[in-house]
Amino acid sequence: MTEHLKNEKLYHARIKRVMDVVALRKPDRVPIATMSDYFFVTSQGVNCKEAMYDPDKMKKAYTKSAGEYNLDMCGTPSSIFSGPLMDVMDVSAFSWPGATKESNRLPNNCTIQYQDKEYLMSDECDDFLKDPTDFTLRKLIPRMSSSLSDLSNIPISIRTMSMPYTILRLLPMMSLLLQDLGTKLKIAGGELERAQSAQNTLKADLKSIGYPTTYHFGIMSPFDWVADFLRGMKGTMLDMYRQPDKLKALVDVFEQTVTELIDAAIEMYQLDRVGIPLHWGAAGFMSDQQYAEFYWPQLKRLFLHLIEKNITPMPLYEGNYTPRLKYLAELPPGKIAGHYDTVDRQQHKDILSGITCFWGDVPKALLITGTTEQVKDYVKELIDDFPDGDLIIDGDASGIPVESKKENVMAMIETVDEYGKY
Amino acid sequence: MKDLMNAVIQMDEQSAIKQTEKLLADGKSAMEILDTYREALSQIGTLFERGECFLPELILSGEMLKTASEKLKPFIQKSVDAEKRGRVVVGTVQGDVHDIGKDIVVLLLDASGYEVMDVGVDVSAETFTTAVQEFMPQVLGLSGLLSSAYGQMKGTIELLNRKNLRSDLKIMIGGGQMSDSIRIYTGADAFGNNAVAAVRLCDDWIEEGQII
Repeated sequence: MTEHLKNEKLYHARIKRVMDVVALRKPDRVPIATMSDYFFVTSQGVNCKEAMYDPDKMKKAYTKSAGEYNLDMCGTPSSIFSGPLMDVMDVSAFSWPGATKESNRLPNNCTIQYQDKEYLMSDECDDFLKDPTDFTLRKLIPRMSSSLSDLSNIPISIRTMSMPYTILRLLPMMSLLLQDLGTKLKIAGGELERAQSAQNTLKADLKSIGYPTTYHFGIMSPFDWVADFLRGMKGTMLDMYRQPDKLKALVDVFEQTVTELIDAAIEMYQLDRVGIPLHWGAAGFMSDQQYAEFYWPQLKRLFLHLIEKNITPMPLYEGNYTPRLKYLAELPPGKIAGHYDTVDRQQHKDILSGITCFWGDVPKALLITGTTEQVKDYVKELIDDFPDGDLIIDGDASGIPVESKKENVMAMIETVDEYGKY
Repeated sequence: MKDLMNAVIQMDEQSAIKQTEKLLADGKSAMEILDTYREALSQIGTLFERGECFLPELILSGEMLKTASEKLKPFIQKSVDAEKRGRVVVGTVQGDVHDIGKDIVVLLLDASGYEVMDVGVDVSAETFTTAVQEFMPQVLGLSGLLSSAYGQMKGTIELLNRKNLRSDLKIMIGGGQMSDSIRIYTGADAFGNNAVAAVRLCDDWIEEGQII
């Protein structure tokens, strides 16, 4: 068998191992599939800034790590954004290593971070709801990206361009207002092309050596979209009391938006697995009643929409999800791969056994500060807890953290190899 | 005062404002009214710890206190500052720009009668050290959401040790990912996973006479 055929076989065998667990079929051994991205780069001595600004270094390190760690699924490299693209777009909502603008700059070894802000003010919700597209174009985008601030110069609603007279007058007028914007977008387009080309080559390289990635496309839950990118944490939490109906209306708008986005992505890519990082539904962030009222209905419909399209949702349940397990029991069995951060394993087994697998949860504190023996013990206990083949192993939260001791990651992998065969 | 307390605990913002205005008109002292708010927030904190109250309630009650403080400020004598329970420096460590948890800690500590210096986010070990030297707090709170925070917290505490600034200083680390093993790793005195725990730690240290 040629090397190429051998790797292709391995590629499919690895996907099958993971997806068997998701479908609640016992695989040959416990799979390891990680949500991590930057670890694949930093553990080869390339820092986070280099990962974002030097695609060749990033690709080389990522590919080397894939072969070295030999996981069933690597994290998706798509979440390593292009630094030059971010600089050109000047996205004020993020801080990242190496940012040209000092106010956005983080130390070289830090991963990209979102800055919680209120982009849509509480008294603007009605205006947004009246015309979400126009508000997004003329108000939200300029607030989120100073490179696109010229869009706020558009003097009148986009709807007014729906007749030939206004097309003749307003569009040419706008081209004068938006000259700088065109130049910036042209540069950004070039950077995007360069970044996408690097990502596509990397994914092809990984595939050629037999390694799949967890997912290729990520989306937000409707509530988190509103909380993270429009109203901010504080605004959203206050909305639950001060303007609950408007908050619900916003979440409804973004349920429709997420659905449109998925359907468009289905047309563009071959989607099989979709990542959904979940931020605000965990214990402590809201009551069960609030979760049932503001968060779960739209999230459940999102899961079901993906399932209907034969796509496996891969939610990252950030924070403690124990109180929400009862909601997950409403989902069809064997269709979702939920990645846990903190959850009561016994309750997971009691409530979700036969419905959904367990994906996690080697603690980051252990991978960073623990010993290899402690890691081995933890992984063995995890495997013992799920003897029926419904376990995928990874770090907790977002997978293997960049600060992990390499020997601890190797201990996790070796223990699964030695102890995880069924 | 009971009606005001109930209004705050039941998250009835409008009623709390009305009660505050009524109590002021009835000649109640502004300080007494503010203390009622603080007591209500303390009870909400307890409910939060018990899992009977959540982030929206913490935030809203904090906002209610803020509104009341503004309204009552003209009626409160300046000497009140002298009655602060203690001084606390709080900030998010270098490389981490998350401010949500830190901001709630600042709000709750302030509401609980502490004088708080908020040094912001992405704060270097050197800046924390300068803040400790200048503000002379009894407690330093290091906040962080990311796993990169562990090393930064450790480095900050090591710098404070090297500069002999630990003898009268308690250090607490906070964030959803903190644990006792991380407390040991960083060299902190205590850890907390939420904002209410930070207030509880400061209160306990004061009650136990560990900080003066």
